[in-house]
Amino acid sequence: MFNYTFQWKQAFARLPQMLDGAAVTMQIAILSMVLGILLAITLTMFRLSGSRILSAIARTWVEVARNTPALFQIYMMHFGLGSFGLHLSPFLSILLGITFNNAGYLAENFRGALKAIPETQTRAARSLGFGAAGAFGYVVLPQMLRIAFLPMTNQMVWAILMTSLGVTVGMNADLYGVVQDLNALTFRTFELFALAAVIFYLITKIITIGARLIAARLFRY
Amino acid sequence: MNHKFVVGLLAAAAFAAPAQADKLDDIIASGTLRCAVVLDFPPMGMRDENNNPVGFDVDYCNDLAAALGVKAEIVETPFPERIPALMSGRVDVGVASTSDTLERAKTVGMTIPYFAFEMAVTANDKSGVKSFEDMKGKTVGATAGTFEAIALEKQVQEWGEGTFRPYQTQADVFLALSQGQLDATVSTSTVAQSNVKTGNFPGISVVGKAPFDIDYVALFTDRHEYGLLNYLNLFVNQQVRTGRYAELYEKWVGGDLPDLTVSGVYR
Amino acid sequence: MFDTALTTADFIFLAKGAGMTIVVTAISVLIGTVLGVIFGVLRYQLGPIWAAPLIFVLDICRSIPLLIQLVLTNAFLGTILRLNLSGFTVACIVLSMYTAAYCAEIVRGGIEAVPATTRRAARSLGMTWGQDMREIVLPLATRIALPSWIGLALGVMKDSALVYVVQVTELLKSTQILITRLQEPMLLLLICGAFYFVISFPLARFGGYLEKRWSND
Repeated sequence: MFNYTFQWKQAFARLPQMLDGAAVTMQIAILSMVLGILLAITLTMFRLSGSRILSAIARTWVEVARNTPALFQIYMMHFGLGSFGLHLSPFLSILLGITFNNAGYLAENFRGALKAIPETQTRAARSLGFGAAGAFGYVVLPQMLRIAFLPMTNQMVWAILMTSLGVTVGMNADLYGVVQDLNALTFRTFELFALAAVIFYLITKIITIGARLIAARLFRY
Repeated sequence: MNHKFVVGLLAAAAFAAPAQADKLDDIIASGTLRCAVVLDFPPMGMRDENNNPVGFDVDYCNDLAAALGVKAEIVETPFPERIPALMSGRVDVGVASTSDTLERAKTVGMTIPYFAFEMAVTANDKSGVKSFEDMKGKTVGATAGTFEAIALEKQVQEWGEGTFRPYQTQADVFLALSQGQLDATVSTSTVAQSNVKTGNFPGISVVGKAPFDIDYVALFTDRHEYGLLNYLNLFVNQQVRTGRYAELYEKWVGGDLPDLTVSGVYR
Repeated sequence: MFDTALTTADFIFLAKGAGMTIVVTAISVLIGTVLGVIFGVLRYQLGPIWAAPLIFVLDICRSIPLLIQLVLTNAFLGTILRLNLSGFTVACIVLSMYTAAYCAEIVRGGIEAVPATTRRAARSLGMTWGQDMREIVLPLATRIALPSWIGLALGVMKDSALVYVVQVTELLKSTQILITRLQEPMLLLLICGAFYFVISFPLARFGGYLEKRWSND
């Protein structure tokens, strides 16, 4: 039917290598999410702090991260910083690039989530004797994370998909990098990338369904 | 009965024609020869100040088109995309400094060699790499999907220490090298000399030869297009015979003309 | 500090790359939105069971890296079906499907946000399904969906940087080509980033303004 002989066995024989790559992909994605959430909370606190400088830093970070391509941010991390003599390994470049992006988007999500929390919560917390940090940390933050949970899941999926950009900065241990190397060896482009697509789909499905289950347990009230 | 006979004859003629036409005929009939050329690989393929494609491979493609009596169309392909571009029908021939490995010959048809490269080690001056052996334990890299990248990665694994990084383009490799993110790279001596000579990448120099086999590169096209493959083989031979190969080599590279034959074997 | 080897020819080269980015984005967003509206309405009308195949296909477009989608479609249409499509065509096809997948969700969300009571009132006044959709749902759903749609369009513009894998010379690739020749990575990358920023930032702010204006507070 097609003017092409499919050779699936060649692709399946390489499956263990691809799964190793998938493990590295997950490592990068999870690390970048954790760092991204921490940074986003910090940026949110900057914006709430009332200091003009901190607020400006936070706003600039968010706007740059959300208005420029992720590929551009990653390329900057490696070659842009490299031109100043600051060398980041490919792993760090892709990790920090995705983290930068995550932090920007998540900070914006958190800002939207905060708007949905009434001021009365903070006032009640303060009147109970919490300090400003305590009121934020014990009362507002959990509610904010809960409201922003769905956007955070989306961002996690995007982080996983963004790891494929690591090849531009010399990263060849993640799933996309492994498949590209294999493709250069065997030229079975369709078979290899189709298999990689299936693996990515399964990973993102597991994350999404897992997140939904976690939300059901955690946010029962 | 008469006009049924004529119709039958015409039908037979119409069905006969496509069965005989091959890619060589198609190229001549269409009036355009589409060549896959890598424009990231000086001096074989690069861009001049007006960002137009120039280089040895570009001139070679133009010569081939002139011989066929058609117009040349340079289709820029990055290294990993050369063979896929042919497989998807986007180009007719690959004039892209493609090493004639057996693995590739399973997928495409390769001609006799039209150029030969020696591999050289280019190192960042601050890295202390002065020879191929010094690369052991260092961070090295090459262009993803090339002959030397595959060989270098295998070598790094054999040494057991050091890291290997593939970058997407030759330019990225040299950029990383000059920024010090790579200690050394292995590339063809032509591209190494060319890049060092431009002075665009400060702080790097060629430090010696790499003990990989001489890299013969060939033109490539569809595996079953025997007519075109025979034509290309004759074309390569004629380029050498008429002195055009020497002329182009002097124009773009200079120095000793590499021998395109392997002694002791017929082809 | 600002002496640079950039010539006017180089700026024109960058401008051509930028033009290519805009063209690819515009075509993909246009086709993707039309498809997305159709898919969104279908998804809403058919319900989760009958629309399952459609949901599955759209889900795939959202769960696989765009790089892989581009390479895979290119390999399938090119190597397997042997269609001689240019990289530009493949890029537009893939980006359109990508846009349509997200747009379908936005449209579905928009339709669902229209109060059911309003729609039932329209039907009980004698409007057909088509009239209901056109006169009642369309204005209300558009209000709700437009800010998200602007975000999607800008997202597609940023993701268009990835079409370099199918040999489309858009802005980021043009920048990389110039960096190769001129060796001024920082300056060229800043120009490239500034371009994306200058287009994306005002439109994103505009979307935020619309969202605030049309919210129900």
